[in-house]
Amino acid sequence: MVFSYNWLQSFFKKKLPPPKELAVLLTVHFAEVEEIRKEGKDFALDIDVKPSRAGDCFSHLGIAREISAITGLIYRSSTSIIRENKNIKAKDFVRVEVKDKNACPRYTARVVTDVKVFPSPKWIRERLKVCGLRPINNIVDIANYGMLETGQPLHAFDGEKLAGKKIIVRFAKKREKIVTLDEEKYDLNEDILVIADEKKPVAIAGIKGGKLPEIDNKTKIVVLESANFNPKVIRKGSKTIDLKTDASWRFEHGIDPNLTEIGINRAAFLIQKIAKGKIAKGLIDFYPQKPPTKIFFEAKRIKLDLDYVERLLGIKIPLKEIKNILKRLEFGIAEVRPQHLLVEVPTLRLDISIPEDLIEEIGRIYGYQKIKAVFPVSALVPPKRNFNIFWEDLTKNILKEASFTEVYNYSFVSEKDISIYQLDQPKSALIEVENPISLEQEYLRPSLIPNLLKNVAKNQKNFREIRIFELGKIFQAPRTEKRMLTGLITRTLAKGEDETLVSSPTGDAFYQMKGVIDLLLQKLGISNIWYDEYQPTPEDYNPPTTSSHSPSGELAPSKLSIWNPKICAEIKVNHEEIGFLGETSQKILGDLKIEGKVVVFDIDFEKLQRLSSEETIYQPISRFPAAVRDIAVLVPLEIRVEEVLNKIETAGGILVKDVDLFDIYEGEEIPGGKKNLAFHIIYQAEDRTLSSKEIDEIQQKIIKTLEENPEWQVRK
Amino acid sequence: MKMVKINLKTLKNRVQKEVEKALDLKELDEIFKKYLGKRGEITRILRSLEKLPKAKRVKIGREANELKNFLREKMEQKKSSFVKTTEDKEEWLDITAPGQKLALGHLHPLTQVQRKVEEIFQTMGFSVVEGPDMETEWYNFDALNIPKDHPARDLWDTFYLKNGLLLRTHTSPVQVRYMEKNNPPLRIIVPGNVFRHEATDSSHEFQLYQVEGLMVDKKVSVANFKAIIGEFFRRFFRNDIKFRLRPDYFPFTEPSFDIGISCLVCGGKGCLVCKGTGWVEMAGAGMVHPNVFKNAGLIPNPPAGGWQGWAFGFGLDRLAMMKYKINDIRLFRSGDLRFLNQF
Repeated sequence: MVFSYNWLQSFFKKKLPPPKELAVLLTVHFAEVEEIRKEGKDFALDIDVKPSRAGDCFSHLGIAREISAITGLIYRSSTSIIRENKNIKAKDFVRVEVKDKNACPRYTARVVTDVKVFPSPKWIRERLKVCGLRPINNIVDIANYGMLETGQPLHAFDGEKLAGKKIIVRFAKKREKIVTLDEEKYDLNEDILVIADEKKPVAIAGIKGGKLPEIDNKTKIVVLESANFNPKVIRKGSKTIDLKTDASWRFEHGIDPNLTEIGINRAAFLIQKIAKGKIAKGLIDFYPQKPPTKIFFEAKRIKLDLDYVERLLGIKIPLKEIKNILKRLEFGIAEVRPQHLLVEVPTLRLDISIPEDLIEEIGRIYGYQKIKAVFPVSALVPPKRNFNIFWEDLTKNILKEASFTEVYNYSFVSEKDISIYQLDQPKSALIEVENPISLEQEYLRPSLIPNLLKNVAKNQKNFREIRIFELGKIFQAPRTEKRMLTGLITRTLAKGEDETLVSSPTGDAFYQMKGVIDLLLQKLGISNIWYDEYQPTPEDYNPPTTSSHSPSGELAPSKLSIWNPKICAEIKVNHEEIGFLGETSQKILGDLKIEGKVVVFDIDFEKLQRLSSEETIYQPISRFPAAVRDIAVLVPLEIRVEEVLNKIETAGGILVKDVDLFDIYEGEEIPGGKKNLAFHIIYQAEDRTLSSKEIDEIQQKIIKTLEENPEWQVRK
Repeated sequence: MKMVKINLKTLKNRVQKEVEKALDLKELDEIFKKYLGKRGEITRILRSLEKLPKAKRVKIGREANELKNFLREKMEQKKSSFVKTTEDKEEWLDITAPGQKLALGHLHPLTQVQRKVEEIFQTMGFSVVEGPDMETEWYNFDALNIPKDHPARDLWDTFYLKNGLLLRTHTSPVQVRYMEKNNPPLRIIVPGNVFRHEATDSSHEFQLYQVEGLMVDKKVSVANFKAIIGEFFRRFFRNDIKFRLRPDYFPFTEPSFDIGISCLVCGGKGCLVCKGTGWVEMAGAGMVHPNVFKNAGLIPNPPAGGWQGWAFGFGLDRLAMMKYKINDIRLFRSGDLRFLNQF
């Protein structure tokens, strides 16, 4: 909110600190001054007054009170000495009827007659302009001026335009309409409180005045309104018609009903002085809950435990200083005891209701900068270990070491993303955003894959090979969120490179990725990893819910639409599927304009974490040398490497320490329909050096076993 | 026989000179043939020994053998000197040529900053805990003393979901979730995603990464908060960093404050980043509001035997921007490898 420096100065006899210094003081003790702007001879201070202080500080008077409390300078509120004209009676000009006292706890009105409408004096116009308001005429300007000074929204009607000389505060009727001062038309409904005359609404209560009883050059009789409305009613109305004004903003935060009188008298005084009006006798005041007399007025009283002040702030502030601060902020001190104070809260301070509120007042005016830092004294309890974060960190480190770059994507996907993936599931399996900002945020992501592929599309013009991963949450209807670990490798064709070579049976990128997964799982202490052909199983359509907040029985995305059905595999540990590995389907790559191949892994991180283990057991290194023999087998194309490996291992027995596939070859020099697999076989014993005779015997046994199949041929 | 002896001595001198004069491997090879080849001089001497009487045979044989070994040794030395000279010439390396680039992976800057934050707080006894991204209105607002239909709710622009939940606007709901299940004294930090329903620009983002902190005990104060947060800033940024608390408003803390650090870009003199003030807002904080304790099932206010404590929350994005001097918050979730590969 913007305040005028000169206006603030007008409440003080002594000179205020210069604008910049004042701004620092306010920022440190009250609220941030976001900007200081020179405006002619004045300065505009844009102060970020917090909603809690709407009741007293959306006004120049309130800020002056704060300045006084901070600096100790004495401020004086402006005069509003009313001289009522005994011959004119307010009630002869207007009658006020409030239909709903809950919606309108107080309604005060004053009548000023014989006014002359003309432009306001320069000082009013300038102050309004500094605060961002457009001067209109003396009456309207004074109403605005009164609001900016006291915080009480005010409204002026032309008394002669009110049908039946009546003001009725009621909720709007169905299909009622109103045209506001700025010529906008609004459809009203029963939730919106209005000010009406005998016939129709003349203002939207607490929000905006209507065109009908507008003040114009010929206006002679002014009916001033100064009311208090229920914050919830104004908030609802303002939201319904989507209109926020200076008035509605103040009302929806809540203001002190006692303020209506101060505001209206200040405005009436100025109209009398500036527009030469006569103030009719009598303040029209609908105030059913008004306390009978001032003495009984129930100010809030708070017992402030002095020990608690010290314990919460962590510093001992002398009692004298505490009392001083409270007094400067206009709190009353009803009782002083060695252990506590009984503090009376001004009715303006709607934000103060508990001792902690008072401690904040004391702390900020005293100055947080004066509180010395002291380390807490606490039991030496070691922090608990967070296993989620431990495994996440380890996983990320492993992938980083395997030269993957970590990305963070948004947790949203668009309708378009969903359609690209042809997720065969019903839309109800997705969680839809009620109020997306743009089309990009229509759904919460059901998978990390769509955004990762978008990363590829974005980066491919700068990078030929991309290796990225993300570890983040996915969301499934109705209320499941769980962590996934998803990564990809791209293989883009270089110029002149032959596509058939890239997607050769060795499937370069696929095996690279498989190696990455083997490495990852091994480092996470998971053994018994194997890869299974993809088969649709009920599990695919019924994702297990590990870290969910409620179970999900919805369908998962159809895997077939995402993957190339010929190059994909389920990643399994023991009997459990933990994820999927495969090439992305050409169709999706085409839709996203991605060139080359993309191999993706998609792992359920909740499962992965559950299977992970920190246990590592050292395997003693054999003191005896290992011997390596190679073997090459010609087998039909459709034979799986695993099958051959199994045969070698079974035939080889315990002395075969390891078998490494080092080449797969098909093509020239190899008979059609066959491929050549070449292995290193490593022989080693724990207790002796193997003789070459021993090794040859096993090697022969292996060859024999392999050749039991007539279609297999060991190349010698 | 005296001849032979003289022969051996002069022979040794001669051979030694010849070896030293040799210019390349070929010449050396010829010297070898001349003396030690099948018909070489020394070979001949050795062969002729059998004709001599035993005593002399032994003596001269030994001397001839010594000569033979001496010569071999000299020739080897000479040979290796040749190899060395050729090495010196061929193995010259241009050390200014660039080193081979290794394919490296990169951790996201937010991950790196998060780890640093966790490490600092863990050393001060804070446990790291988490909470869900999808929250109920109760935990995100009501339990934090932000009533329905109250303008304070407008401080948090919120994404609502059709499943009746919302995307948490801050990590503060975890304060209540944690205190419901764990009795004080407690010290936690809570990292996690938060969401704000607002338009983006270089300093605004609709999805952010936040860290919440909470300490509850019988006597924790504002002074204690200043000590802990100051220690954090010093360890995270640098030792001479300045920070300040100023009043702010959050419904779930009372008193509430904002924490600013001296601007690292201009050193506090005033620049575009700090809007000329010399200070940059880093976090919101305050003493936990009694209603928050009540909503978590705890008794507030120690005079009555209850608890008190403080909480804070800051954006990791902002912390990372300050640390690495990143000028656009949207880069974090851009997936742009030209950005990510720098970390």
